Amino acid sequence: MAWPERSRRPAPVRQFLDPAVVARLGTLELKARTVVEGFISGLHRSPFKGFSVEFAEYRQYIHGDDLSTIDWKVYARSDRPFVKKFEEETNVHCQLIVDVSGSMAYKSSANASLGMSKFEYAACLAASLGYLMNRQRDAVGLTAFSDRIVDALPSSTRPGHLHSLLISLDRLRVGSRTNVAKPLHQVADSMAKHGLVVLISDLLDDPDAVIRGLKHFQYRGSDVLVFQVLDPDELEFPFERATLFEDLETGDEVVAVPGAVREHYLKRIVELIERYRRELGAAGIDYQLLNTSEPLDIALLAYLSTRSRTA
Amino acid sequence: MSFLAPLFLVGALAAAVPLVLHLLKRHTEPRVRFAAVFLLEGAPVEHTARRRLRELVLLALRVGALVLLALAFARPLFRSTAAARATLTVVAVDTSLSMSAPATVSRARALGLDAVRTASAGDDVAVVTFSDRADVILKPTGDRGAATTAVEAVTPGFGSTRYAAAFAAAGELFSGRTGAIVVITDLQASGWDGGDHAAVPQGVRVEVQDAGVPPPNLSIDALRSDGDRIVATIRNTGDRAREVRARLTVDGRRTGESTVLVEGHGTADAMFTNVRATGVAAASLDDPSGIPGDNTRYALLGGNAPGSMLVITATGDLDKDAWYVRHALAGVRGVAAADNARWTEDDLNRYPLIILLSTRGLERRGREKIAAFLGAGGGLLIAAGPDVDGEIVADVLGPWAPLEVRAANVQNALTLAPADVRHPIFRSFGGAVASLGLVQFRAVAHIAGRSCQAIARFASGDSAVLDCEAGEGRAIVVASDLNNRWNDFAVHASFVPFLDQTARYLSNGATRGSEYVVGDVPAGVPAAPGVSTLKTAAGSRRVVVNVDARESAIDRMSAAVFQAAVTPLKDAAARDLRVGIAEQENRQHLWQYLLAAMVLAVMTEGVVARLA
Repeated sequence: MAWPERSRRPAPVRQFLDPAVVARLGTLELKARTVVEGFISGLHRSPFKGFSVEFAEYRQYIHGDDLSTIDWKVYARSDRPFVKKFEEETNVHCQLIVDVSGSMAYKSSANASLGMSKFEYAACLAASLGYLMNRQRDAVGLTAFSDRIVDALPSSTRPGHLHSLLISLDRLRVGSRTNVAKPLHQVADSMAKHGLVVLISDLLDDPDAVIRGLKHFQYRGSDVLVFQVLDPDELEFPFERATLFEDLETGDEVVAVPGAVREHYLKRIVELIERYRRELGAAGIDYQLLNTSEPLDIALLAYLSTRSRTA
Repeated sequence: MSFLAPLFLVGALAAAVPLVLHLLKRHTEPRVRFAAVFLLEGAPVEHTARRRLRELVLLALRVGALVLLALAFARPLFRSTAAARATLTVVAVDTSLSMSAPATVSRARALGLDAVRTASAGDDVAVVTFSDRADVILKPTGDRGAATTAVEAVTPGFGSTRYAAAFAAAGELFSGRTGAIVVITDLQASGWDGGDHAAVPQGVRVEVQDAGVPPPNLSIDALRSDGDRIVATIRNTGDRAREVRARLTVDGRRTGESTVLVEGHGTADAMFTNVRATGVAAASLDDPSGIPGDNTRYALLGGNAPGSMLVITATGDLDKDAWYVRHALAGVRGVAAADNARWTEDDLNRYPLIILLSTRGLERRGREKIAAFLGAGGGLLIAAGPDVDGEIVADVLGPWAPLEVRAANVQNALTLAPADVRHPIFRSFGGAVASLGLVQFRAVAHIAGRSCQAIARFASGDSAVLDCEAGEGRAIVVASDLNNRWNDFAVHASFVPFLDQTARYLSNGATRGSEYVVGDVPAGVPAAPGVSTLKTAAGSRRVVVNVDARESAIDRMSAAVFQAAVTPLKDAAARDLRVGIAEQENRQHLWQYLLAAMVLAVMTEGVVARLA
């Protein structure tokens, strides 16, 4: 699927999607709301249609509906309660799976004062997606993992569930080692209902195991969207002088002269990304590479695209 | 472990330098905690764990190399504690010619075996034999069987007696230990040569075992030609007169016989007449019960007489400048030093010997001619008297024997004594060599030179007579004049034989050095009586070797006199300990292994340092 191009016109609203700006916001809830509202606001101005979340029609109020969906103007006029029906109103169960392993803690020196680490970016993205999903009346759950599942919140549309999700995200801390595949299999086995699975990870693990884990969701009837979150340093390897690189998870140390290893590294990271892109695409799994220095709207657009195909 | 030079261990402090550098060294690379380190696998990176290990190995090698170097210079050794504890008994057996009578040999072996048996249990025993020089035939050992075997195998030879050599060899074996030196000898007086003394380490006692008086002995002490006669001097050390029949052969052909009556404790000359021959003469007699080695004597016939000699004086008038020399020697011809311009090489080469009594007017050409004469094998006798300039003399001897001759202040008249009575010049003096000490020197010259041996010294210790090798020739330098001006040598009885023997010694370059004593043979000549061929750069010539005539003389001393010449040295123990330790270190040569280990460490460091 071809991704829609991002708007190249600088839009004031896009500043709210700038990670450097978002990072300075206070709570995760605020960040999520800012991102989503900014995104939706941008969508309204966008020539792209088909991602609307606007009101589509009315239906008669049924006991148990969310009172916030009652159109009070219609009630005033008709003296009968009607609820708004949105275009995308389905009961899709979305499960956000967030990688909180040690490698997610990386934050480049360029982003030291501004910007976010991969974990912060992933948390912000997860919060934004949760916020958006909740706004669309989708059930959203959260699973956090490192080499094991560290937190799990089942999907729900209950009032206050979003708040619980945001609190869970806020409380997450970066763990140690990475093992993407094992938690994926566990989550896949535990999902009672099929729906949409969104994986947010740097995927710096064994690609074969990761892809097998993701296919497990497909086997269980769920759609999968993968966000690979990488730092600009990981994508560009901008180091100049001889550097001692310490692995965030294993503690292994190597001394390298960037000039001598850059080409090798870039070749390998591109190979890794391309492999994920190729094999996940061949498996029908949506994949999006995210750079922590770039706005989150790409991620949100990718979600909406996938979401639109999920019934 | 001990060290021969422990001060060098201070050098091990240098090992702190690489250690300090290692500690001060800071890796300046910035540290980045990175998530995708695994993507650097296969790239040219260095794992820090491996780098740390490499740096530790390099540090160890560098420190180790410096420490090994310091240890090597300190010359370590493992001290032999066993040797330090056990005392030592050295059995020193006299194997000189005078010990070779059959009865004497048996008695000496019995005394040696007794010394081995009576050595304290637990002591080490060593066996040394000595004559002209000493040989350690058994090093210190606790094996009494080996010591017994060594003593039983002792066999006297043809050498002279030199006790100093025995004590020197025995003393070196102690290496700081205490014990005893048991000397088994016939107490021959000539064994203490010219005032010899011996020193033994403190704590070492000396025992003398008298091998007994040698049996009555007949010997041929000298053999010389006198015109057409050959004269053999026969000595009888017995109490009774004996009729002796001597035989003469020349080059193996029987030439004559002579019978003489030799009084007890006396000598007689056996004459062999009408012998005009050249070749090797051998005179022999029969004496089955005496010392067998002195029953035959050899001499080289032809050219022994000095022939004519050239005497260089101030004026050339021998009656005026060299009256005493002219009358002491036959066939001398005088020339003035100043006439050197008229000399030719042929003029000089006609003479086997030049006697230089004056250098007045001797110019460079003349000096060069004399030097050339000397270098070609001529003999030169120099009397460093008032008419001789030291610089000119040094110029004549040139690079062969750089010589220093200068006037010396003499407070009181000096006497001289031979430093080596076995030198050919003094040998024939025999017991009369002491008469040289009657000469009074009122003025002398200071003489000294490389390649020169002092064969006589003044009582002051300065050289009186030098024997210098000069090219193919030889020079004798006397530190005074020979014309009764600085000394009264010329009026003493010893003057004539001194000049005669000196002339014989220096003249006839082809035959000089033709007779040797067993203890003084040159390399390549067997140390045994007989005829041999000596190969030199100038060619080969026949030489004869005889035993030392003094060995045939029964001139004994008492054990007390013998002991009196032995001095215990207070610090000898410490010195010998140091010597012993040095010898142990020399045997172990651990420093070589340490140096090799250091080289290996340096090479390994080079290899490891290159590893990336």
